[in-house]
Amino acid sequence: MDHPQPIPQFLHDGDFLGALKAHGYDVAPRLMEAAAKFQHEMGSGSIATEGTTVLAVKYRDGVLVAGDRRATAGNLVMYERAEKLINIDERSILAIAGVPAVAFEMARVLEHSFKYYQRSQLQEMSTAGKVRSLSKLLKENLPLTLQGVGMVVPIFATYEIADGKDGGGKVYFYDALGAQFEGVDYSASGSGSLAVRSVLHYLNTWGGKPLAKYNESEIIVTALRVLDTAADSDTATSGYNPKSDIFPILRVITKEGVREIPDSDLTRIYRSEV
Amino acid sequence: MIEEPYRWVEAIANRREYIEDQLRLGSPVVALNYADGLLLLTVSRETRKVFEVYDRVAFAALGHPADIERMRLVAIDLAHIEGFNRAVADVSLRRLVNFGMSPALKTAFEQVFGAPLIVRILLAELGDEPDHDSIVKLDYDGSFARSEIETDEPFHVLAGTGEAQQAMLDYLVEHDGNPRRGLDDALKLAAKTWAVGMDMAEHGRSKEGEEAEPRGIEPEKVLREYLKTRHVEAAVLERSRPATKKFRLLDDKEVRGALKDL
Repeated sequence: MDHPQPIPQFLHDGDFLGALKAHGYDVAPRLMEAAAKFQHEMGSGSIATEGTTVLAVKYRDGVLVAGDRRATAGNLVMYERAEKLINIDERSILAIAGVPAVAFEMARVLEHSFKYYQRSQLQEMSTAGKVRSLSKLLKENLPLTLQGVGMVVPIFATYEIADGKDGGGKVYFYDALGAQFEGVDYSASGSGSLAVRSVLHYLNTWGGKPLAKYNESEIIVTALRVLDTAADSDTATSGYNPKSDIFPILRVITKEGVREIPDSDLTRIYRSEV
Repeated sequence: MIEEPYRWVEAIANRREYIEDQLRLGSPVVALNYADGLLLLTVSRETRKVFEVYDRVAFAALGHPADIERMRLVAIDLAHIEGFNRAVADVSLRRLVNFGMSPALKTAFEQVFGAPLIVRILLAELGDEPDHDSIVKLDYDGSFARSEIETDEPFHVLAGTGEAQQAMLDYLVEHDGNPRRGLDDALKLAAKTWAVGMDMAEHGRSKEGEEAEPRGIEPEKVLREYLKTRHVEAAVLERSRPATKKFRLLDDKEVRGALKDL
């Protein structure tokens, strides 16, 4: 808070990006800063901007979102505990494949925009509005994407409750330029996504019952198996890493909100089913 | 036109008189602590008066609805921009008031060519522990007063007149009892305090130089009368809430349940 400004006369539309700009903070340069910092820390040379796997799949109670934990740069494994799932609000998760620094900055802006909208407008932003906010941010990020430096390819998963009406789990995926698509049953992003999508397609079509009918344990088992499959063919993806005992991150979104599946549960399920 | 300092002082005095007159019949607001955090309560007709500003900051006001709305949005803007540019933990009520809202209100009040804001504001912040809770009253001229949580007075009130405010504070001190009270007890106490204030504002008029006499009223009866045409608007900042957002607007059922034995 700097020196006092006269009280503005405004028509308030709950637009956080607009409010930031009015106070002299622009989002696009900040994303560039984040990308520049990331570049600097990783060193020059090719950066695996897609080295990761994240997925979101609808099941009986909502959506399960999962992400592996490996962060790579070229052929170097940089970090084995990367967090690729970011809680945006009580019922939404952003799963990111791409440059983490830029994605985290986007997640911060997104999280703040939703809260800002809800508090100033006295109603929660609709799911469509939330999905569009992310799309707008990706478009702001365009210059970086086109330079091949700050590309972010996210998945947005949420549970829709509007005016007491239960809309169920929803999954949206984007291309790097910001176009949004609704995933009917599931979505995956990142270098291991092809393997994930292939397996999920097989299961959904010929697996005995559609993924949307799986209960929580069944979908957790499926997610662990599918990430293991992706890890088998993609070095930039790790499934369960027995050497360091690190599991992928799994969270579910139900009408009660976001809940992380604890490592203890994952250990038990992994040993018996995967 | 304002050419001399004397005329400025006169203009300010007129302005103060005008605003105080406008605020007289505003519906009072009560803020007090309870076992799990802080409660804000008022009894309103249609317009909403209790709002969320940030994860641990709530706002309530009396005065002109449009001015209340403007100050509410100013508070929300300042809090969110600060929280985004630095961190959620850096947003504090003290900074919001001292460096943001108070200077803005003072400027608006003193610029005699511009319009003042006809508001009286109560802000509550939930600290990490009960000793760090904070309740601040902010007035139309930018003056602010923080309630002294540490010295057994963890509450504050807004009222349209000085007498109504004093009557409410006296009532709270007298009936304060246990700061670890549950939410139901806090609701009852706050609602009765509100009734004391509203009644004093509407009926207690002191003559020049005399103190208003305490009216021998039964707050419960007065409250029931008002509740025929108004509804209780109450919100809490709950420490035990798992999410980072601690604010919750209480729904009608919950409030009616707590007040039904009054």
